[in-house]
Amino acid sequence: MLLQLNNIFKWVNSGGQRIFLLKDINLQVEEGEFISIMGPSGSGKSTLLNVIGMLDTFDEGTYDFLHESVHSLKEKHRANLYKEYIGFVFQSYHLLDDLTVKENLEMPLLYKKFKGSERKAIVADMLDRFNIVGKKDLFPTQLSGGQQQLVGVARALIANPKLILADEPTGNLNSQQSEEIMELFKKLNEEDGVTIIQVTHSEQNAAYGSRIINLLDGRKVEI
Amino acid sequence: MFKNYLKIAWRNLIKNKAYSVINIGGLALGMAVTLIIGLWVQDELSHNNHFKNKHKIAQVWQSQTFNGNVGTGQALPRPLEKALREDYGDNFKYLVMSSWTNDHYLKYGEKSLSRPGNYMQREAPHMLELQMVKGEKDGLREINSIMLSESAADALFGTDEPIGKAIKVSNAYDLMVTGVYKDFPYNSSFNDTDFLIPWEKYLATREWVREAEDSWGNNSFQMFVQLADNATMERVTATIRDVKKNLNEDTAEFNPQIFLLPMKDWYLRSNFEQGKQSDGRIKYVWLFGIIGAFVLLLACINFMNLSTARSEKRSKEVGIRKSIGSQKGQLIYQFLSESFLVVFFAFIVALVIVLLSLNGFNELARKEIIFPWNRIDFWLISLVFILFTALLAGSYPALYLSSFKPVDVLKGTFKAGKYAGLPRKILVVLQFTVSVAFIIGTVIVMQQINHAKNRPVGYENEGIIQVPTFSQDFTGKYDLMRSEFLNSNAVVSMSSSSSPTTQIWSNRGGFTWEGKPEGFQEDLAWTEVSPEYAKSLNLKIVEGRDFSRKFASDSLGVLINETAKKYLGMPDPVGKFLKDDDEEDPNPPLKIIGVVQDMITQSPYEPVKQGVYVYDRFNNSSYYNLRLNPKKSSSENIAVIERVFKEHFPDIPFEYDFIDEEYGEKFASEERIGSLSGIFTALAILISCLGLFGLTSFVAEQRTKEIGVRKVLGATVFNVWNMLSKDFLKLVTISCFIAIPIAYFVMNGWLQDYPYRVILEWWIFVLAVIGAMGVTVLTVSFQAIKAAKANPVKSLRTE
Repeated sequence: MLLQLNNIFKWVNSGGQRIFLLKDINLQVEEGEFISIMGPSGSGKSTLLNVIGMLDTFDEGTYDFLHESVHSLKEKHRANLYKEYIGFVFQSYHLLDDLTVKENLEMPLLYKKFKGSERKAIVADMLDRFNIVGKKDLFPTQLSGGQQQLVGVARALIANPKLILADEPTGNLNSQQSEEIMELFKKLNEEDGVTIIQVTHSEQNAAYGSRIINLLDGRKVEI
Repeated sequence: MFKNYLKIAWRNLIKNKAYSVINIGGLALGMAVTLIIGLWVQDELSHNNHFKNKHKIAQVWQSQTFNGNVGTGQALPRPLEKALREDYGDNFKYLVMSSWTNDHYLKYGEKSLSRPGNYMQREAPHMLELQMVKGEKDGLREINSIMLSESAADALFGTDEPIGKAIKVSNAYDLMVTGVYKDFPYNSSFNDTDFLIPWEKYLATREWVREAEDSWGNNSFQMFVQLADNATMERVTATIRDVKKNLNEDTAEFNPQIFLLPMKDWYLRSNFEQGKQSDGRIKYVWLFGIIGAFVLLLACINFMNLSTARSEKRSKEVGIRKSIGSQKGQLIYQFLSESFLVVFFAFIVALVIVLLSLNGFNELARKEIIFPWNRIDFWLISLVFILFTALLAGSYPALYLSSFKPVDVLKGTFKAGKYAGLPRKILVVLQFTVSVAFIIGTVIVMQQINHAKNRPVGYENEGIIQVPTFSQDFTGKYDLMRSEFLNSNAVVSMSSSSSPTTQIWSNRGGFTWEGKPEGFQEDLAWTEVSPEYAKSLNLKIVEGRDFSRKFASDSLGVLINETAKKYLGMPDPVGKFLKDDDEEDPNPPLKIIGVVQDMITQSPYEPVKQGVYVYDRFNNSSYYNLRLNPKKSSSENIAVIERVFKEHFPDIPFEYDFIDEEYGEKFASEERIGSLSGIFTALAILISCLGLFGLTSFVAEQRTKEIGVRKVLGATVFNVWNMLSKDFLKLVTISCFIAIPIAYFVMNGWLQDYPYRVILEWWIFVLAVIGAMGVTVLTVSFQAIKAAKANPVKSLRTE
């Protein structure tokens, strides 16, 4: 078992009223799963993903990640945990505009304190694997959206995470680019055993996954 | 990792060129000012540091009380030497009596110069740690010897060998050069000592000095000491404090207190008020030190403000970095290394600025500061300075930026406050508080200088020169020279005096007069003058009459000034006598024949001292005062005067000073402070404006969309300008309210040092406020109008 959420609640107070963003979420994820989170706008998909990714906190419930209790960890430990095991892919790529493709890929390795020679080898390997060697010295703004997202996925993968969290990874891409990215996810899931959780609006993309979780107003619903 | 940070920082700098120029430029200016002030402070503090025994050397000082006023000075009576040597000799390694440093004529062959120097006792070369270039260090053994500084020897002898040669001093006696020493450094208390002559020669050539051997009342000499190894300043001062009082009854009524002033205090802490050591130059060291610190603070505030204003642009980066595993500490480290990079660049630019401006600064501050390239300690301090500045400037942005939550900033909903968060507002207020206070301070300093400059001097000091007449050659020549000069047609009137017109060299007491209060201890400025003195200076006679050669009895006459009339308590002084109160050997009484207007002889900031002008019966002239013929140019007149002078005194160098220039020297130190603080104020304002300019451009950028919407809805350029400027003007207004009381308090304190001072008027403060507002409006308007005129269609489309 990779992670387990038990009775997760998250809310904000607005004008004396408590508005629930997440309501009693229970979720168990096994290693090697490919899960799609679906639901209308404002249903709490991204919030759930951020909670899983430890970027956001929750107000009630327990969260175990690889048998560590995330809810009771200090921020520093939590950061170490997700740095080690989790990679993020964003809808708007979120590459650092001031760094080249190669340097963007190198960034997570720097934070994990890899040695210079090791970093070079891993980055070269990744560039090769994603077939973007020729783009390594370009800046993100010089690439198309699909290419940028390719770099985004490569960056998420570079530190060899167990889990990839993708927030509408194809939201800004055209259909051909989307398909390429989804194929890539599928391949990673099947061949490399990487666990993937994605948020998506598209039934078509959701079909790549092995399980679908539907959310409505912060609550898990069965369809 | 660090390399990566620097890379990002570098690319950021390149990408935002305007921002970088403002940031680095502002910081560099601030650092340059701080560096220059630092060098200046270091120079001030290193005065006399070339003495290895600085901590052991002292000058003996004396405080005496006259009519309840304690006066403190270096002038000592001769018998003190004997008393200290015989009874307290163990305390001193060296004890050296010295004359004052006076100009003397030195002549070798045809070459004749006038140089300052001292008569000193034999151990002086050892105590003063002379670095010998030629000859022997023990060069004051023989009475007819002289030791010269290297520069004086070079000027006099050129390539000739000086040692063993005889030179004529004061055109009167021959002395043999026994040694040539390296010139004292410029920041030495003895830097103007170009020769040393044995003290014994001083005694041999001057009757009044010999006569002073047992006179405890004649305070006319200096004494320097170097303490014995086991003695301390405090202990020695405690033992010798009452030595004069105990040994001499006559002067005991003035409660003479003898004490040591350690060498470290000579330059910076030699002011005394009522016998207590007050401050002195050290207060300017503090003043400029504080200014330097504030200017640096202003520059750092710019950096903080601009960095945090850019936070929205950097927030995405913070979010991404956090989401791929960066911890807060690492981000803080990253932003600090960015600020380090900027500070480092700024430091290099600052070094260039310092190098370019050091000459001008030296001229302005009358310094000879050399850039300390080869000093390791300078570079170490610079490194600490860079790190400190980087921390000071970078800490707030680092903490602020690194605290962003990735979820907030990555969602794209992040807005960093309206535009100027409270801390940023406080920083702007702080910046302008300092600037406004600087403006007020500078205006007041300038005003005080002008106030003193406009003070009537009491005589006509323009178009008149003084020519020194220090040697015996001039004795008895006054009348002859006067007729020669007048005949030459270059001079319209002439007089002689025993001290220069702009100074008091002699003070006297010991008189009685009709109506003198019991126990009154008078202290009168004493000048011996030729009968034409008042006439040559155009000094007005307000009562009685001027000296006249027609009345032989005028040789025992005296003119007093208006202050003296009040001081002596004589409502009707003309015809009254000042009698010598020495009953056994009285000098003839002096008859007051007239009262002259007060003239400023000492500080233009002080009241005029009570003074008497005595008919010069004994040829005590030190200066000729020559009023030039106004119908001819000064240079023509002076050429003629020099020719006449040389005809009669071919061996004496002709020297002269314009009296109004000598008088102007009295303002030099205040003018220096005025122009320095003016420059620093201008820089402080410039730095603040640079920051404000940068800040406005970011605000305008952030509000581009809002401005676009407003314009679409019908806002005019004026509306938008008003909207953007108003907020900043509010902040500047708050600054003014804080700055005014502070400036008032500080400047009022500064003015207390000047008895003759300007009154602080409200318009100075209004002027400063208007100035600050004006500068703010100008700075802000540049960006605000640019933003307001932008086409709204463009700005809205980019969203």
